[in-house]
Amino acid sequence: MKHINKIAIVMMLATIVFVSCKPDSIEDMGGKRDLLQSINGTWKLTKATQVDEDASKKGFPYQQLDITSLFPYTSFSLTLNVTSGAPTTFTTNPGTSPKIVKLSSGNWTVDNVTNPKNLYLVNGAATDTITLGGYPVGASTSLKLIKEKRDKTTGKLLISYSYEFAKQ
Amino acid sequence: MKQLLYLLIFTFLGFGAVAQNPSFSPSSFTAEDEVTITIDVTGTGMAGVADAYLWIFSNPGLSGGADGITNGNWTNSSESAKLTPAGPNKFTYKFTGTTMFGQTPAQLKSFGFLLKKKDGSAQTPDYKPYFFDPLIFVPSLARVFPAKVDVDDVVSVNFDQQYAVTVNDQRMAPSTFTITMYDDLGNTVGSSLTQPLRKTDITIWSGSFIPNVSFTPAAGRKLLKFAYKFNGTILDINGLPTAVSSADTEVTFTTMK
Repeated sequence: MKHINKIAIVMMLATIVFVSCKPDSIEDMGGKRDLLQSINGTWKLTKATQVDEDASKKGFPYQQLDITSLFPYTSFSLTLNVTSGAPTTFTTNPGTSPKIVKLSSGNWTVDNVTNPKNLYLVNGAATDTITLGGYPVGASTSLKLIKEKRDKTTGKLLISYSYEFAKQ
Repeated sequence: MKQLLYLLIFTFLGFGAVAQNPSFSPSSFTAEDEVTITIDVTGTGMAGVADAYLWIFSNPGLSGGADGITNGNWTNSSESAKLTPAGPNKFTYKFTGTTMFGQTPAQLKSFGFLLKKKDGSAQTPDYKPYFFDPLIFVPSLARVFPAKVDVDDVVSVNFDQQYAVTVNDQRMAPSTFTITMYDDLGNTVGSSLTQPLRKTDITIWSGSFIPNVSFTPAAGRKLLKFAYKFNGTILDINGLPTAVSSADTEVTFTTMK
């Protein structure tokens, strides 16, 4: 009987140890960063790059082209508003720039509030999806957005445009 | 009454013009991709037939052409060349370039085909040439960047003189490029666009434009393709400049999302 009690106590302790074990989440080093808040504000386009994704995938020459000076891209600005840690409204001011975002204003959302990757610009039924290429945090002061274009039939990625913005 | 007649004529013309014939799914493909051809034989010698057979050949007009392995004989097509009916006067056929022609992707540039009766007593006109997407980079005098473009992309046309094979192209001092735009009816859209070139490398001159900014199709139409050429001067025997242009190169837009 004494022997059974000992086994029961050991098993209980082992269960408690196992249950209390859980992997630590990997946190950012240093202070906690508010990535969404870092995007808040008005951004002026400083650089536009066009990438032939199909050529890149195949290892062909002529994979990308800096198109900043080919058309007046630097007159484009984008305002992303964040209130109480949540994305709210956006406005675009294309100036004389080619259209890089179809919508001129509306609401925006993200796929993940803590670690956003995709921005969804929404106006009524229309949605424009832009991928974040880099957060304006730490040593980086520029906001990088990427717009992907895929073959309508196959979904194959063919072209991407990478835009760099400076905070106004 | 007359107005009603005009309305009916234009309505039917419009319906007939929208569809691309033949059409391909996917719209762009390499020689190693499987592609489905859909073809409407209305108005050809094959209209109204129940069974149609494919007669296909590679690299039409170029060296290194081959017949499709499914062709059989002209007077007795192989059963593997039989198309699948897809409605009145419509047929489909699925194939992969490298398998069909027994050639490597490097050897396959384009293909053409026609539809025929098994015994060859009736046929459609030739449909050609349709180009495979390259799997290896092929340098050329005229090149578009990116290789596939939609109507709202920045399109850069490039003249690389080191690949020139004609005397005029080899001697030309390029200065401008000209774009001629076509809609889905094959009609030219607006006036041709001529703009200056910039020198981007020792032997390369480039020019850029955005199709739907420079060209607006008529109501109900869309931009389908454009042709581009390079213009410049060569010196004649008296040392005087003479205007010359390269040959036109055509690019069909890829629909993107």
